[in-house]
Amino acid sequence: MQTRKNVWELGGDWADPILWYARGVKAMKARGLNQTTSWRFYGAIHGIDPPLWQQLGYYDPSEPMPADPDVQRFWKQCQHGSWFFLPWHRGYLLAFEQNIRAAAGAPADWCLPYWNYFKPNESNLPPAFNSPNWPDGNGDNPLFVPQRYGPNNDGNVFVPVDQVNLDAMGDPDFTGVSSGGGPGFGGVDTGFEHGGTTHGGIETQPHDWVHGLLGGSDPNSQLPGLMSDPDTAGLDPIFWLHHANIDRLWEVWRQNPPTDVNPTDPNWINGPGSIGQRIFSLPLPDGTPWDYTPGDMTDLGKLGYTYDDLSSAVPGAPMAERLVRLGMSPVAAKTATKGVPAVASTKKVELVGANRSALQITGGEARTSVQLDPGVRRKVAASLTAAVTTAAPDRVFLNLENVRGLVDSTAFRVYINLPDGANPADHPERLAGNIALFGVRKASLVDGEHGGKGLTFVLEITKIVDALHLNNALDVDKLDVRIVPMKPVPEKAKISIGRVSIFRQGR
Amino acid sequence: MTPAARERARVRTPVLFISAVAWILLVLQPGGLVISAHHHSLAMPGIKMTSSAHLLTALNSPASLMTGWALMLAAMMAPLLTAPVRHLRDRSFTRRRARAIALFAAGYATIWMLAGFVLLSVALALQQIAPASSLPLMLAAAIALVWQFSPFKQRCLNRCHAHPELAAFGLAADLDAFRFGLTHGLWCVGSCWALMLLPPLAARGHLLVMAAVTLWLFSERLDQPKPPTWRYRGPNTAARVVIAQTRLRLQRS
Repeated sequence: MQTRKNVWELGGDWADPILWYARGVKAMKARGLNQTTSWRFYGAIHGIDPPLWQQLGYYDPSEPMPADPDVQRFWKQCQHGSWFFLPWHRGYLLAFEQNIRAAAGAPADWCLPYWNYFKPNESNLPPAFNSPNWPDGNGDNPLFVPQRYGPNNDGNVFVPVDQVNLDAMGDPDFTGVSSGGGPGFGGVDTGFEHGGTTHGGIETQPHDWVHGLLGGSDPNSQLPGLMSDPDTAGLDPIFWLHHANIDRLWEVWRQNPPTDVNPTDPNWINGPGSIGQRIFSLPLPDGTPWDYTPGDMTDLGKLGYTYDDLSSAVPGAPMAERLVRLGMSPVAAKTATKGVPAVASTKKVELVGANRSALQITGGEARTSVQLDPGVRRKVAASLTAAVTTAAPDRVFLNLENVRGLVDSTAFRVYINLPDGANPADHPERLAGNIALFGVRKASLVDGEHGGKGLTFVLEITKIVDALHLNNALDVDKLDVRIVPMKPVPEKAKISIGRVSIFRQGR
Repeated sequence: MTPAARERARVRTPVLFISAVAWILLVLQPGGLVISAHHHSLAMPGIKMTSSAHLLTALNSPASLMTGWALMLAAMMAPLLTAPVRHLRDRSFTRRRARAIALFAAGYATIWMLAGFVLLSVALALQQIAPASSLPLMLAAAIALVWQFSPFKQRCLNRCHAHPELAAFGLAADLDAFRFGLTHGLWCVGSCWALMLLPPLAARGHLLVMAAVTLWLFSERLDQPKPPTWRYRGPNTAARVVIAQTRLRLQRS
């Protein structure tokens, strides 16, 4: 059994596991794009946009290309906006790890480290990735990438800890709903989805946010940092440590049965290949393809690896705490939530309200109001009032529908009912969530895979609605929504939200 | 069953039911929408053949042609509407869902009925050029083949996957649903018009041609949008789905 370890706790900036990683990356980078085990070939498996790669210096149209069957089989395979997001990336990490081990000639127990940016004092980019030099001062450190601009586009690369969260870890359901309700921990039921519309919980936060903020964009050319765009993300060596952390969080989430369990639906277990779509397939170090299904990815023991830290990331029991907030006694709440299996999938989802017109995001702020339907709003309030006896209060979700634009590194915070003139930072209790538009450029192409629908983000605002209800402030016609970009959004980024809506999910 | 699968089934079942009813009616009245120039044998010695246009018109009254066309649309197109109807259902208030879907259907049908008027006129004209011959059908098939491989068809197919944002309240919601029907209808006509010429021109095996075209149109909607270029465009995805599902069922049994 091999153990993936925390990159900040290996015993030094250039501890042996990092040195082996750097050697492996260097060896893979030395190979041509036409080799299936090359660095760029592995990046193209996640996604490739030749003109963008060319602009960033990663592709030369005159260089030899891989054989067409290899391109068809392996490239453009990453699963996003899909319940295959987690299992596909787990396989991608495993195959990549084998390739690095082979390319570097690393010991058999070498493992990819993970970057847990949530830990105190570990949110900065690990130093080995931040220097153009090897530890001996030579200047071709393969872990360094100039196209990493960070949250402020100034080259200072770190994860702003006040902007990432682990809220998704509290979602009892792996599979979400695509009709406006909870997107689930792992995403919504789709087929093979190289850039789906609705991102799942763990994908939205912290996955997308970390991608967008680490990568940022070139302040002069506006070209994306490698991590900001799915078509370039796999080219950045830090990508793999970020995804190892997401993979670790999946295993942490599973520590809480009988909720928090993987799907048992055959379509998930057997993967898209079982319904006639593309299979998941990756090149091994000897060039042979390794085909896998999500069902193959569920048991770390069988896969032969684990993590050095699988302790719970979210303290307490969110549902029991919620019932207590709504008036149930702690003892009754504990009893009511003990052993409750995932049931959200059997619940009803319906629209509660929506804003009136599309919202353009430019500059430092955008505002809109979500008008509520009185009848449905009363239904939500009634379920919250009755929670003391039913133990089944509605969950409420803010939807940002048809989000379109050109710049994937755009990121913003979304607030509900901020008082006029208030500084958003002073009101974390009104924060619905943070959104990074990872994948928005591709999703907005009218001839792209989704006909230009853009992306749809779903943020759970149950806590905010509970608070409004308890303060007798839910009996209103509308809720105000304020979008606060992390950096002013230029007009040429053309960021827009087609509709802002609120849905309830309950009985 | 996942929530998404349940939602799909909720829409697919009534949509397939409508299609099935239309198919039954068509089977009960075979040839209802065949352009009847082949009935030349009906021409009586007393009728001057210079009036063949009149004869065609007499044999194909506009009302019966358009009724047949509407029935054919319901049979062939209803199964293609699962995705847009789901979008309307998902994004409308529960109490407005039926109304939004009805308005969408009205917009969609308006476009297709107008297109039907033009397409059937073209079919009639083709039949006049060469009555009692399979030439018109061959010509239409050639046109459909060229269109099938063109980037224009791909562009239309891609737009059929678009799901616009929809207003939730009042007149704006009604207009958005109707407008969605119109635009979806336009792109649908754009991708299907050439193939839809074939059934009315197929004097023999009319229903078989209809069924084949229906399957073809349904199959190509399973493909994801692609960059518009000249290329072969066939039911590859559908074939793979059928093979995979058959294999799965055989394994289970």
